[in-house]
Amino acid sequence: MTLIDEPVAPARELTVLGACPQDCPDTCAMVVTVRDGVAVEVAGSKAQPYTNGGLCVKVDNYLDRVYHPDRILHPMRRVGPKGSGEFERISWDEAVDEVARRFTAIAADHGAEAIMPVSYLGTQGILNGLNVGDPFFNRLGATVAERTYCDAGSCTAYAMTIGDTAGVDPEAMVNSKFILIWAANIMSTNLHLWPYIAEAKKRGAKVVVVDPVRTKTARAASQHIPIRPGTDGALAMAMMHVIINEGLTDDDYVAAHTIGYDELVERVQQYTPEWASQETGIPVETILTLAREYATAQPSVIRIGVAVERHAGGGQTVRALSCLPALVGAWRNPGGGILQLPLWAFPVNWPAFMHPELLPPGTQVVNQYLLGQALTGQLDLRTPLKALMVYNSNPLVVAPDQARMVEGLSRDDLFTVVSEQFMTDTARYADILLPATTQLEQEDIMFSWGHLYVTYNNPSIAPLGEAVPNTELFRRLARAMGFDDDPIFTRTDEQMIAEAFDWSSPAMEGITVDSLKEQGFSRLNLPPSDEYAPHRDGNFRTPSGKTEFVSSAAAGGNFVVPLFRQGSNDHQPGQPVDPLPHYIPPRDNAAADPELAARYPLNLISPKSHAFINSSFANIEIHQRVQKPATLLINPADAEARGITTGSVVRAFNDRGSVELLAKVDASTMAGVTVCHVGHWRSDALGLSTLSQLNPTTFADLGNAPTFSDTLIDVEPVAAQEG
Amino acid sequence: MAYVITEACIDAADKACREECPVDCIYEGDRMLYIHPDECVDCGKCVTACPNGAISSEYKLAAEDERFRDIAVEFFDAFPDANGGAEDLGPVGADHPTVAAWETGGRT
Repeated sequence: MTLIDEPVAPARELTVLGACPQDCPDTCAMVVTVRDGVAVEVAGSKAQPYTNGGLCVKVDNYLDRVYHPDRILHPMRRVGPKGSGEFERISWDEAVDEVARRFTAIAADHGAEAIMPVSYLGTQGILNGLNVGDPFFNRLGATVAERTYCDAGSCTAYAMTIGDTAGVDPEAMVNSKFILIWAANIMSTNLHLWPYIAEAKKRGAKVVVVDPVRTKTARAASQHIPIRPGTDGALAMAMMHVIINEGLTDDDYVAAHTIGYDELVERVQQYTPEWASQETGIPVETILTLAREYATAQPSVIRIGVAVERHAGGGQTVRALSCLPALVGAWRNPGGGILQLPLWAFPVNWPAFMHPELLPPGTQVVNQYLLGQALTGQLDLRTPLKALMVYNSNPLVVAPDQARMVEGLSRDDLFTVVSEQFMTDTARYADILLPATTQLEQEDIMFSWGHLYVTYNNPSIAPLGEAVPNTELFRRLARAMGFDDDPIFTRTDEQMIAEAFDWSSPAMEGITVDSLKEQGFSRLNLPPSDEYAPHRDGNFRTPSGKTEFVSSAAAGGNFVVPLFRQGSNDHQPGQPVDPLPHYIPPRDNAAADPELAARYPLNLISPKSHAFINSSFANIEIHQRVQKPATLLINPADAEARGITTGSVVRAFNDRGSVELLAKVDASTMAGVTVCHVGHWRSDALGLSTLSQLNPTTFADLGNAPTFSDTLIDVEPVAAQEG
Repeated sequence: MAYVITEACIDAADKACREECPVDCIYEGDRMLYIHPDECVDCGKCVTACPNGAISSEYKLAAEDERFRDIAVEFFDAFPDANGGAEDLGPVGADHPTVAAWETGGRT
């Protein structure tokens, strides 16, 4: 729009302080400029020190999303076959009545467990995010959805070792002398951390990246160590072997603040650098140098990415990595330790959002990775599923087992409700489709899993069409189901915000809802980053208060943190866990399954995209142009052996399925390792399928984490189509 | 690739963008600055920093600025040492031939 010279009424322009809602550690403070009720700019807030005025390629173009012509703005009812995307507009009253009527009938005929929510972190605000539907479904007695997409195994392992601690303040990393970035492409998925790493590097820190792919982050580091997918635990155990056997431990720290050291010494003897070299593909000398430098350059810090858990031994990998800082005394100084999820610093009042006490004891639990099996009769369920309600998620793209999921969602006897902003692959299968607001149209309050600031999202524009925030969606459904006899279900957003935190906690001292609304953000009341060393004197959040090399929590068996399962502690996986860290090799590899590896000799890993967040933004044109169509990176040696050239169409396949992708021959990925970034929609894909066709539904060793990176495939050229 | 610096930078070379770039990928030529197309992470922080409005997403370039996309690629092809961080490198001290021969700086 251009300015015009004629006198007009002055535009009513205001700036509104917001917060990025996306499933990312950075939770940027945003400033939204609104003119006459229309948002005209979304920018980063210069005032917020950590995110520092920057957004990223995903959210710079947020207005393209908010005002996209494809937004779903009204409730709709399916009129065509399932999956056809043919709908008719209906009123909210009709939609809510139909959902309540069907849920009530299904509960009467089959039991309420025949209904299941399906959701994750399409938005991650405390109000509208992870737990927004939990009270409703807990009261209903629906099947509990276990959502272990992200760090569930890592959280179990981390908690077993050092407890639910914030760990390292990312702003303190400027003080780090050795920064070990493990399975994280910071420049695409944690961008606002990079300037702190760069500053540390400028001050003399060595920055090492462990990753099968030479990412932009790896290229900018001092050293890149390529590693075979799924063998990270071998490297971590071998580092402990070297540190212990070469006397590089911080003996005073170990004596005062750890338990189980003698057992650990014995355990690590089998994990020699020579053995680890065979397993990981990393030269012995590189392993020795890494261990020595990590131990001696203090403070040292390990930044682990979510990808570190995505293989059979993901949990034990994080167990080992969480042991390392105590072994070398890294916790003594600001900028030393391990950075996993500083989320744990936030005193979020989770029970007020999950209300687990409403859950009927013993209610069945289904992990969302198994949804395809659950919907097609291949899971042994007490109560088979007859209805789904999907919100904050697009499971057809982000969950594995796509072919079975399509089969399940196509069932005529399945009643599916989807709340969405766009006609996603999953939304196409809805019976009732409900319009959801974007972050500009809703109020929320945000924790972060990458820094230590609370951020407030003031709504900046009125909801488009008839879209509603998830909080309002569940108020409407609760009223229609007669749950409004309980004040939990009639809480306003304002009342929920008042319950969002334990405001009396020391971390919240000096922070109020009013101050947050006005400033947009506030650093938790913790020591300044240059002084923040929470475990200088131990104080780990474990039963012993120490780093537990021998984990006492392991005695209870494997578990998923209840936060990821609507607060439920029933039907935990429970299998015995060795209390000492150890190495579990990838499930799909030549040693474990030579026959499989002979047929499918290439690893497939599926990192997060640069321009999408999971499947969000994959339908927006500018993001598609930046990300490019779904592409398989393949090492030149592997490409040549198969006659594959850049730009050609290839078929990637294994016993689970087959996907057509564009090939890019690229030496940035190791020989034997292929890479396909996650997020492209099925509807945009060649052959109507994406890489989730190929991914296993099998869990990792701890916390029911996924094993996406534990996937073997082969690749072949696709002959040019005739005609 | 990514964000592109265009004509409005020629002979202005304000450098405010370099302060903002989180990955230090904006390199100094003689008459203008250049964003390394392979190092840029598409965050867009430089766009608002530039007082001359010279920076744009490669996908949102004005028609007359389209050529600067190729200019950036060719600049870094010609000066392969310009990588891995602009600050450590310092000024390249030369320009793409098209920029070197540009008649007047900036745009009025």
